[in-house]
Amino acid sequence: MSANTVMKTSLRNFLAHKGRMALSAVAVLLSVAFVTGTLVFTDTMDKTFDKLFTATASDVTVSPRDSEAEGSDTGRPEALPASLLATVKQADGVKSAEGAVSSMNVTVVNADNKNMGSENGAPTIAGNWTNNDLRSMEITSGHAPRGPTEVMVDADTAKKHHLKLGDELRTIAVTGDIRAKIVGVASFTVTNPGAAVVYFDTATAQRELIGKTGQFTQINVAAADGVSDAQLKKNVAAELSGNGTYKIQTQQQAADANAADVGSFMDVIKYALLGFAGIAFLVGIFLIINTFSMLVAQRTREIGLMRAIGSSRKQVNRSVLVEALLLGVVGSVVGVGAGVGLAVGLMKLMSAAGMDLSTNDLTVKWTTPAIGLLLGIVVTVLAAYLPARRAGKVSPMAALRDAGTPADTKAGVVRGIIGVLLTGGGGFALYLATQADKASQGSLWLGVGIVASLIGFVVVGPLLAGLVVRVISAVLLRFFGPVGRMAERNALRNPRRTGATGAALMIGLALVACLSVVGSSMVASATDQLDKSVGADFIVEGQGGIKPQAADALKKVEQDGLVSHVTEVKWVKTTLTTPGGVKEEEELSAASPSYTQDLRREATSGELSAAYGKNAMSVGSDFAERNHLKVGDTMTVAFHHGSTAKLRIAAITSDDTAFDKGAMYTNIATAEQYLPKDRVPLNGMMFAKAADGKETAAYKALKSSVAADPTVKVKDQTDYKETLKDQVGQLLNMIYGLLALAIIVAVLGVVNTLALSVVERTREIGLMRAIGLSRRQLRRMIRLESVVIALFGALLGLGLGMGWGATAQKLLALEGLGVLEIPWPTIISVFIGSAFVGLFAALIPAFRAGRMNVLNAIATD
Amino acid sequence: MVKAYGSGETRVVALDHVDVDIARGQFTAIMGPSGSGKSTLMHCLAGLDTVTSGQIYLDETEITGLKDKKLTQLRRDRIGFIFQAFNLLPTLNALENITLPMDIAGRKPDAAWLRQVVETVGLAERLKHRPTQLSGGQQQRVAVARALAARPEIIFGDEPTGNLDSRAGAEVLGFLRRSVDELGQTIVMVTHDPVAASYADRVLYLADGRIVDEMIRPTADAVLDRMKDFDARGRTS
Repeated sequence: MSANTVMKTSLRNFLAHKGRMALSAVAVLLSVAFVTGTLVFTDTMDKTFDKLFTATASDVTVSPRDSEAEGSDTGRPEALPASLLATVKQADGVKSAEGAVSSMNVTVVNADNKNMGSENGAPTIAGNWTNNDLRSMEITSGHAPRGPTEVMVDADTAKKHHLKLGDELRTIAVTGDIRAKIVGVASFTVTNPGAAVVYFDTATAQRELIGKTGQFTQINVAAADGVSDAQLKKNVAAELSGNGTYKIQTQQQAADANAADVGSFMDVIKYALLGFAGIAFLVGIFLIINTFSMLVAQRTREIGLMRAIGSSRKQVNRSVLVEALLLGVVGSVVGVGAGVGLAVGLMKLMSAAGMDLSTNDLTVKWTTPAIGLLLGIVVTVLAAYLPARRAGKVSPMAALRDAGTPADTKAGVVRGIIGVLLTGGGGFALYLATQADKASQGSLWLGVGIVASLIGFVVVGPLLAGLVVRVISAVLLRFFGPVGRMAERNALRNPRRTGATGAALMIGLALVACLSVVGSSMVASATDQLDKSVGADFIVEGQGGIKPQAADALKKVEQDGLVSHVTEVKWVKTTLTTPGGVKEEEELSAASPSYTQDLRREATSGELSAAYGKNAMSVGSDFAERNHLKVGDTMTVAFHHGSTAKLRIAAITSDDTAFDKGAMYTNIATAEQYLPKDRVPLNGMMFAKAADGKETAAYKALKSSVAADPTVKVKDQTDYKETLKDQVGQLLNMIYGLLALAIIVAVLGVVNTLALSVVERTREIGLMRAIGLSRRQLRRMIRLESVVIALFGALLGLGLGMGWGATAQKLLALEGLGVLEIPWPTIISVFIGSAFVGLFAALIPAFRAGRMNVLNAIATD
Repeated sequence: MVKAYGSGETRVVALDHVDVDIARGQFTAIMGPSGSGKSTLMHCLAGLDTVTSGQIYLDETEITGLKDKKLTQLRRDRIGFIFQAFNLLPTLNALENITLPMDIAGRKPDAAWLRQVVETVGLAERLKHRPTQLSGGQQQRVAVARALAARPEIIFGDEPTGNLDSRAGAEVLGFLRRSVDELGQTIVMVTHDPVAASYADRVLYLADGRIVDEMIRPTADAVLDRMKDFDARGRTS
C-alpha cells in the first residue's frame, strides 16, 4: 500500500466521519482560537500603545533623572528648572524646544462631581498644551487654553461625558482645585485607549500641577532637518553636561520606556490568558483521544480486514495519524480565523467598557497564525497517537470476529498501580506543602502535588469510574427503575471512556473549586484579621494617595466631636543602614500615633507606642532577626530627597500577621523633620474612630467631608469587608469566565462521547425499541448516562480542587491566610450545575437516538 | 395489504396485496427466497414497519395507523420478538434480559410463570451470566425466554436459528414448538430453512411479495420439495 493509498483511505475515513469529527474539530478550533485571539489582542494593544507613545514623544526628551520612579508619592511630578530650556535651545541641531508640564496625579470632575477619568486603570493626565501635542492631537473645536480659568479636554472624554464648550471642570491637584471652563476640545489622531486628558496654559499648569513656577516636568526638543534623533540627543547631552544629570531620550527610547511599563502589565494578561488556553487544550486532548479511540474501536473489523489483506501495522497506524492531522489542520485553520474574530470582538467589548481600541490597529504578526496552527496540529496528532498505536495492534483476526463492541474490561492493573502511586505521591506532596515553613519551598510542593494528583486522578479515573458511578447511581438512578439501571450499566461498560470524558470535566471544575476555596478563605481570613486587629471604625483610601484637600477635610470632622481621632499613614522611601552596616531600601510607615489603636500590632519587644516618640521607629521581627537587631539599637535612615536621621528602634513587631507584615513604623512628625515640605508623601491611607455612640453620624460626616473628591472612599468595617468580598468575587468571576472555555470543551467531550456511543449502540437501541422501550424512556436513559458521567467528573474535580484549595490555604497561612473556608454554596451549585450540564450535553445525542428508525437500527451491522 | 418503497418509476412493491390470517395458538412459518418480502411481511405484522395500504389487526386492535407511542406499547405488552442475532443487551445479565420488557413497562413479572419459562428453556443455572458468557444457542434461548416471559399474544421470530449450528437450532426450535403445544403460544417465524419450517403447524410461501402457497403440517422433505418446485418454476417462467 503506497503512501498515496494511506492518504486516500484516511481522507475518505475523515470525510465519512466528518460528523463524528466535528466536535473534536470544534475543541481544537476553540483552543486555537483562544490562543490566536489572545496573541492578536495583546499584539494589537501593544501596537496601539506603541503608536500612541511614539506619537506623543518628541524627537528628544529631557526629563528629571527619576521622573517615574518617584514623585507620585508626593502627588507632585518631578520637575526640572525652566532655565534649562534656554540651555537646550543652544545645542546644535535643535529646531525648537519647549517646556512641558504634565501630571498624572489629578482627578477631573464635572459640575456634578462625577469623575471624568477612566475606571479601568487608564490614567487621567493634566498638562500644558504644547506644539508637541500637535503631533498626536488636533483641536477640533474652540481654542487652546489661554488663562487660569480655561481648560481644553480631549474629544473622547468630552464625548463620553457629554461635555461641551463652556462647561466647568474642576481639576483636583495636590496644590488645590483648578476650576476652569472648557474652551477647546482636542481629538487624538492616533488611538487613545482610554486616558482622560486636560490641558491648561503653561503658567497655570506649572503653578497648579508642580506647585512652583519656573519649572517644567520635561523639555521636548524637535530636531532640525537632517539631524537624527540620536545625534540631537548627543548634542543636547553635551550642552547640558555640568548642569546636573537628566534623563535624555530619543523618541524611540521614550516610547520604548513607556511601552515597557505597559508591556509588563500586558504580558501578565497575555500569559494568564494563554494559561487558560492551555487548560482548554489539555481538556481538548481528552476529547480527541476519546474520539479516535472510539473510531478505532468501531472500525476494528475494517482495520482487521486491512491487516488481513496485507497492510502493515505502520500503515494502519499512519492512516489514523493522517486522519488526526487532517482534523488538526481543519480545526486550526478555522481556529486561527476565529481567533482574529475573537480579538476583534474583544476589542469591541473593551471599547464598550470604555477602553477605546481601533480595529485599524489590528495586528496579526506572522508568528500568530504559525503558533496557532502548529499548536493545534501538534496537539491533535499527539493526542491521537495512543489510539493510533492501538489501531496498529489490531490483529488481522479481528476481521473475522464478530464486531460487537470491544469493551476495555481490563482497565489495567499497571495503569491502576501507576495511577495510585501518582495520586499517593501527589497527596504526599500536598501534605508536605502544608507542613512547609517556608512559602517558596511549600509552593514547590504544592505545584508538584497539584500536577501529580491531577495526572494520578486522570490515570486512575477509569478505575474510579466504576466505584463512583455505582455510588452516584445508587443514590440517584434508583429512582428511575430499569432505565436508570441501563444508564448506569452503559456508563460503566467502558470505564476508560467514561473516565476520560469525566476527567476532562474534572480539570476545569477542580480549578474552579480550588480557586473558590482560596478566594473565600481570603475573604474569611481578611475579615477575621479585620475583626481581630483593626480597631478603627473607618478606613479611607484614595487613588494614588489622599490629596491634602481631602485629608484636611477629614481631619476637620475631628473638630466636630464626631470622631475621636483621625489617623494619617504615609509611606516614606528610605535607605536604611543597620548598626551592622547592612543597607536596605525600605519604606517606613510614617503614621499618627493613634495608628496603634487603629491597627493592633503585637510587639515582641518594646512598646509600639514608643516607636512614635521623637527619633524612634519600630521594625518587624523578621527584619530584626535577620539583622540581629534589638530594641535600643540605632538605625541610620536616609530619607530619599531628604536628610539622614538616626532613629532608635523602640519596638519590634511580630510578623505573624496579615496586615502590615514587616512594616516599620515611625511618627509622621519624625519623617517630616527630615523631609522638605514638598517631599512629604501624600497620605496613603487614613483611619478614623467614631466618638462613643456617634458611629452613624461620624460615618455620614466623614463621607460628606470628602464628597468633593470622588476618588477618596470612606468605608466602615462592614462596607470595607463587603468591598473586599466583591473584589475577590469579581476576580473569581473573571477566572471562572475564562475557565468556562475549558468547561465548554469538556462538555463538548461529553456530547461527543454520547453521540459516538449512540452510534456504536445503534443495534442495541433498535432492539430495545423493538421490544418496547418508548422514545421517551430511551432519551431519558441517554440523559441519565450523561448526567452520571458529568457528576462523576464533577465529584472528582470538586474533591480534587477542594484538596488543592485547602492545601494552598494551609500554605498561605504563612502569609496570613489563616482561615480555611469552603464555599459550600458554590461547590454545591457547581455540583448541581454539572447535572444540568449533563442533561444539556445529552440533548442532541438523545434526540438523535430517539429519531432512529427501529428497523434500520436492527439491520445495522 | 401493500408495502411499496419509492414512487413512480422507481417504485418497488415489497408486499403486493398480501392477505393473511395468523391463527391463535399456532406456529406459523413464512418461507420464501431472499427478496420475496418475508421479512418485510413480518416487520409489518409486528408493528415495526408501516404499510402503504391495507390494514393489520392484532386481535381486535388495528395496528396500522397507530402512533409510535401506541405501537411501542403494543410491542412491549402484546408482542414478543426473537431476532436472528444480537438479541440481548450486553450490559444486562440473562435474567435481566428476560424480564426487560416487563421492567420497561414497570410491571412485575409473574414469578411462577417466569420460573416455568426459565426451566423450559433450561437456563436456570445461567441466569446471572452476561450474554458474552453464553454460547450462541444459549443466547437464543434467553431470547426465546424473554419473548415468552411477558406472555405476549404473539411472538415473531426473524430467522431465530439462522446463526446457530443444527443442534443448537434444533434445541431452540424445539422450545418454540413446546411453547405452542404446552403453553398455547402463538408464533410467527420467518425462515428460509426447510428444517426450521418443518417445526411449524403451517407454512406460508412468499414470492415476489405475494403469498403463493401454503402447507399444513409440513415435514422437512415436503417443504424442501415445494421449495425446489418454486425455484424450478421461477427459472422456467
